[in-house]
Amino acid sequence: MNEGKEVFFRSDDDALINVCGLYKYFGKTEVLKGVSCSIKKGEKVAIIGLSGSGKSTFLRCMNLLETPTYGEIWFENKLLTPVDPYLHADIIRKSRTYKEVRAKISAENPAFTETDADKAAISEIKAHDLLKKNEGKSYAAAIKAFYKSNFLDADLARRKIGMVFQHFNLFNNLTVLKNMTLAPVETGLYGKEEAEEKALGLLRRIGLADKADVYPATLSGGQKQRIAIVRALMMDPDVLLFDEPTSALDPEMVGEVLSLMKELANDGMTMVVVTHEMGFAKEVASRVIFIDDGVIKEENGPEEFFGEPKDERLKDFLSKVL
Amino acid sequence: MLFQDIYRIISDKELIGYLFQGLGNTVVITVFAVLIGLFLGVAVAMVKIAAEHSKAMKIPAVICNIYTTVIRGTPVSLQLFIMVFGVLAIPGFKVYAAILTFGINSGAYVSENIRAGINSVDKGQTEAGRALGLSWGKTMRKIILPQAVKNVIPAIGNEMIALLKETSIISWIGATVGTITFDLNAAASTVNRTVVNYLASGIVAGAMYLAVVYLMILAVKLIERRLGKNERR
Repeated sequence: MNEGKEVFFRSDDDALINVCGLYKYFGKTEVLKGVSCSIKKGEKVAIIGLSGSGKSTFLRCMNLLETPTYGEIWFENKLLTPVDPYLHADIIRKSRTYKEVRAKISAENPAFTETDADKAAISEIKAHDLLKKNEGKSYAAAIKAFYKSNFLDADLARRKIGMVFQHFNLFNNLTVLKNMTLAPVETGLYGKEEAEEKALGLLRRIGLADKADVYPATLSGGQKQRIAIVRALMMDPDVLLFDEPTSALDPEMVGEVLSLMKELANDGMTMVVVTHEMGFAKEVASRVIFIDDGVIKEENGPEEFFGEPKDERLKDFLSKVL
Repeated sequence: MLFQDIYRIISDKELIGYLFQGLGNTVVITVFAVLIGLFLGVAVAMVKIAAEHSKAMKIPAVICNIYTTVIRGTPVSLQLFIMVFGVLAIPGFKVYAAILTFGINSGAYVSENIRAGINSVDKGQTEAGRALGLSWGKTMRKIILPQAVKNVIPAIGNEMIALLKETSIISWIGATVGTITFDLNAAASTVNRTVVNYLASGIVAGAMYLAVVYLMILAVKLIERRLGKNERR
């Protein structure tokens, strides 16, 4: 995929989603401060944390509903964000700054080998954000070439990244059936009849076939969220992102939504779930991530995560919610 | 005396003929001005909304902002004088220049109404559309605009009603076709020259304005109810 290109933070080229050195500022507020993580096919990742910890922003960056300030998002080995040059050593090496810094380091440290000098120069550049001033042509060309060969348009990526929202966000002006068929028909994934057939099949599966022709305003929260989930499934996504899918529901409706999500998990769907439902995280997740203050504080399988948490903030958090 | 004069206006074919002719012209002017206004309003609103997302629209958005600010910041009568006697001072072109002026004036208000309507649609609707892989334009057309239209119908209806009455100032510029005075307001003055009873001619012309406005109010209500069907439980 990226032969001969050294890419920092990309631990896993087989991953479905790779998040590399993600920073997100809202104005001057730093919400995410360097998050890196990869989601493999078939994984069910639960993301937990306090309100305002950045977990929803993190999820929304994955399908570019929020534009990352720094860092890169990779989906199926294609780049969704602009290149962040600090993540690519080979791009840094093409800059004028690199040559200058490296020459200086070699002169100051005659004992350094080639590799030592290279490493020192790159870390020096990253530490002091030196690339900003550099406008070398070969450097700009390197960024452009890398970007072109790896870039994937966000609209295309989003067709394969389903998302389920806290407030359902069914289209109020369309019937349930239209809600489900709009995107697959408009994007050319399915023909109209095909899409309707598929939609009715999914509605039957969740026991809401009789609601096909009603408008969302007539549905209960639980029904809305289940329809929102199957609407996302209409695009045959490779991964589903859930942004607190049960937080806006009345307590008696949480169960029906969670059981549908469990069903999907058992079918092998790749899922990333931001949730406050610890029971669901324990039972379904293959990995649990604790985000606090804009960074990943702990990341583990559910048994270790809940059984022997190491981070003090996580211990504190779990003692409050469990 | 008053009732006699009103009866005289209604029964005299020539007098009531003037008024109906004036009413017809008022309605025609309003319809064309509304069409221009709606077209401009939607276009300007789209440019302003698009500028929030795309850099290419930044400069058009600045022009649109100047347009809405200037038009909403100056009286329509002044705009009419400038257009008819200044910018488009072409012989025989007065009426068209006036229609254009009313349309341009209305467009500024309509654009703000539509912008407010688009902004009043829950942001989650856009996010859901984009998250399903729909482009910004498709999300706008298929999801946001249909909902925005429903929200702005009352405001747009108000704007059209105001516009209908605003067109009465066309009589100030002496817009005529042949010897016939032009709109309903002007027709009322013509009738008054024969009847010499301001109250009587005013009441008849006023009733005609009111009748048309009332029809517009009913139409707006009907449209609102039609579009509101997906919100009923």
